[in-house]
Amino acid sequence: MSGLFQVPWSDYRSDLLDALGRTVSYTVVSFVGAVLLGLAVALLRLNRAWPARAVAAVYTEVFKNIPLLAIIFLTYFGLASAGIRLDVFTAGCLSLVVFYAAYLSEIFRSAISGVHTGQTEAGEALGLGKVGIFVHVVLPQAVRQALPGTNTMLVDLLKSTSLLVTVSAAELMSEGRLITSATFRALEVYLVISALYFALCYPLSQLLLLLERKVRAGIPLSPRRRRRVRAARALLAADLDTRTDREEAVV
Amino acid sequence: MTEPVTTEKTVPPATTEAVVRIEGLRKSFDGRLVLDDVDLEVDRGRIVSVIGQSGGGKTTLMRCVNLLEQPDRGTVEVAGEVVHREGRTVCRDLPRLRRTVGMVFQRFNLFPHLTAVENIVLAQRKAGVAEPEALERAVALLRRVGVAHRGLALPDQLSGGEQQRVAIARALALRPEVLLFDEPTSSLDPEATREVLGVMRELAAEGMTMLLVTHELPFAREVSDHVVFVDGGRIVEEGRPQDVLDHPAQARTREFLTAYGSVS
Repeated sequence: MSGLFQVPWSDYRSDLLDALGRTVSYTVVSFVGAVLLGLAVALLRLNRAWPARAVAAVYTEVFKNIPLLAIIFLTYFGLASAGIRLDVFTAGCLSLVVFYAAYLSEIFRSAISGVHTGQTEAGEALGLGKVGIFVHVVLPQAVRQALPGTNTMLVDLLKSTSLLVTVSAAELMSEGRLITSATFRALEVYLVISALYFALCYPLSQLLLLLERKVRAGIPLSPRRRRRVRAARALLAADLDTRTDREEAVV
Repeated sequence: MTEPVTTEKTVPPATTEAVVRIEGLRKSFDGRLVLDDVDLEVDRGRIVSVIGQSGGGKTTLMRCVNLLEQPDRGTVEVAGEVVHREGRTVCRDLPRLRRTVGMVFQRFNLFPHLTAVENIVLAQRKAGVAEPEALERAVALLRRVGVAHRGLALPDQLSGGEQQRVAIARALALRPEVLLFDEPTSSLDPEATREVLGVMRELAAEGMTMLLVTHELPFAREVSDHVVFVDGGRIVEEGRPQDVLDHPAQARTREFLTAYGSVS
């Protein structure tokens, strides 16, 4: 083991922490952006007007069929040569956003159109209004459908931030390359870098699985729903108890 | 809040004020005429049943009342207000119209991501009812339809009969002036059908105004004040249940009733 680990890691601790933080920043900012853009594109694709659908379809097909690395080079080097100079964080996030929004829009579109029309009709019949129906009826059910695919994309996005090494984005992978060029210990350094990615991704995906299960089981997650269910439980206490007693009596 | 949450009427059920009035209704889907020159009136406190074969336009007729379908021609009047005239919706506040008209669907259409009690609270809150009152009302309604012990269950944890009873409670929560029932027992087994008809019978006894599309002819005979037989998009025959169901004047009605085993 002493043969394998010879890099003075304590010297690099704060640099690595910075790099880790930057990887997380890229992931969070890009994912939020990709979800918002993906939702917008999905809604365009479900729009009644065909030009809206066409724009969204072209967008999705273009960015789904170009490698992420090409998008990164286009936004960072390509735009710069056309006079649009983006700093590396903006260019990196922009690339990840436009790329992942294309995939997420497909997931969101199928999730939204998968909500049964009877649900919208029930909402209409109850006078919920267009916005109310979308927010309270369609979206929660679509989220439940979209969650597994979206979670996969989030973990994938985190790993894809490593491609930003090509534009020296100072995230985890770039830091690894820096340490390697200083120490010439490629195997050791990239093992540690890989372990760090694993340490980020594994708990994240487990956490997301847990979230998926809770949502699927209908467990109220928002404070408002929790308060409402708690209040209802108090009001229904007598009904819930007597029934249990009776059932037990029968058994 | 102990105020009765249901539809107890202070008005005697025999007033002739129409809650729903439909005149000259015409509707087609992709060039296929589904309803042709249909008139229908439901007076306050009355129960009108629409019977007829599947695909005959019954459900479409009902869905025109709360404008889930847009008629091509004719007028629709709800609670004294013209809401649709000659292919144009003239009702400015569609959500308000729909709160005036409660609807119960064949496939229940409960919101699967919300518990039974939340299903009943949601629309009330959107209609401006305060949270505590909305909850009280939801709980009282769940007790009324006999599913309070399942109030915190999700729809797919409920039996069909329980789901439909929760759906009825949800429709009642907005204190509608009229309830529409679209084949409410068609996807239920006999036991669940009995439960749901039991609840509907109680509503009828309380004087709730109802428009009912159904295949349950004995039930229609029992609770209805007026029965309408729709076939091929037109009203073929209508009248008192004992007349239409037991002594139909039209050959087409007899044919239909024979097929349903109601007339020998």
